[in-house]
Amino acid sequence: MRSRWTTLVFVLMMSLTASAQQGDKEKFKARYEALPSDANFDRHDLSGIWTQTKLDHSLGTPAPPLTPAGIAAMNGRIQDKPGVVGNAPWYTCNPMGFPRLMNDDEPMEFIITRDRILQVFQWEHRIRYLWTDGRALPSGENLENLGPAWYGHSVGKWEGDKLIVNTVGLEERAWLDNAGHPKSFHARIEETWERVDSSTLENQLTLYDPEYYTAPWVGSKKIYKRMPPDAITYFGWNGLFAGISEGICAPMNEVEGYNKGFRDIGTKPR
Amino acid sequence: MRRASILLFVLLIAAAPLNAHHGRGATYDMKKKITLKGTVARVDWRNPHVVIFMDVKDETGKVVTWGFENAGVSQLAQEGYNRNTLKVGQEITAVVNPAANGAPTAIVVKVILADGSEIMSRERGQNPVD
Repeated sequence: MRSRWTTLVFVLMMSLTASAQQGDKEKFKARYEALPSDANFDRHDLSGIWTQTKLDHSLGTPAPPLTPAGIAAMNGRIQDKPGVVGNAPWYTCNPMGFPRLMNDDEPMEFIITRDRILQVFQWEHRIRYLWTDGRALPSGENLENLGPAWYGHSVGKWEGDKLIVNTVGLEERAWLDNAGHPKSFHARIEETWERVDSSTLENQLTLYDPEYYTAPWVGSKKIYKRMPPDAITYFGWNGLFAGISEGICAPMNEVEGYNKGFRDIGTKPR
Repeated sequence: MRRASILLFVLLIAAAPLNAHHGRGATYDMKKKITLKGTVARVDWRNPHVVIFMDVKDETGKVVTWGFENAGVSQLAQEGYNRNTLKVGQEITAVVNPAANGAPTAIVVKVILADGSEIMSRERGQNPVD
């Protein structure tokens, strides 16, 4: 009985915390949802600055059961909870990695070029390269030779009006979400992007990782809204100089300044 | 069962305010709000969180420097605030949730200027400390 109550309390606490965050985000939504609709938009033109409509740092669906190797890979990862400071790699300015960065709070920009699509993230000021020149996704010896990368190696292609991007070779030390879910070097993540109207993108991720999970992990559909054009003009929207601003996690700011210089003062016993 | 219901209610109230994006754990007493009156001593306009320090006289007249954290640079900028919104020496009132361990550190609820206007309000979504 006690454990059932404990579980219920935990679940409700988490959902209420999420709804409080969501309440803040709702207040911002009115700004970008007020954009006029353009019926003549190009469904293959993803260019622009976009922001997620929900604060959700996860894939948005429950994880499938882990394999024994997956359980071992997740061992030692401590998630934040009341009274406990977790050990997520980004607390010390390590890269969030893919896909965790894509599920962060700050905007990202798609820049379309002839042979690749660049995805520029505000947090970390990071670039992902999605190759669209027809090259094959690295596999076998090629992938083994390339080795792991925090954002993996990505190839994209259009199937109708959907951009399908596959990413392999992901760095295992990067957490997939705030819970510390793992992904193996041999995992593949498939993501779909679809511009459903002039100011809305839909995105969905699926993790294929038989080493660490007993089934594919199909994420929920995430909605991105276009940032208003005045956000990217010189000193435009509320004084922003440019759309994507510098969200760099610098150790001398985060580790020395914020963690040691401020947060820990209020966290450690006195 | 009734005791469990009361426990559930209390925990739900305590859980509401925020998640710990940067590993705050139980740093702040989110059920407690205090009001600090003083002058701005320093503004650390930096990621991951903007920290504003202010000099506050305690009941004995001794000046204690408090620091309270806010959202990150980009999020505050999108809400129209900048590095010079608050200037060193400016008189402000800050409503904050203080550190649970009694240290003079806190997380913002809102800032009230001398003319009574409220800015950087977390309650109104202007200061989304996640």
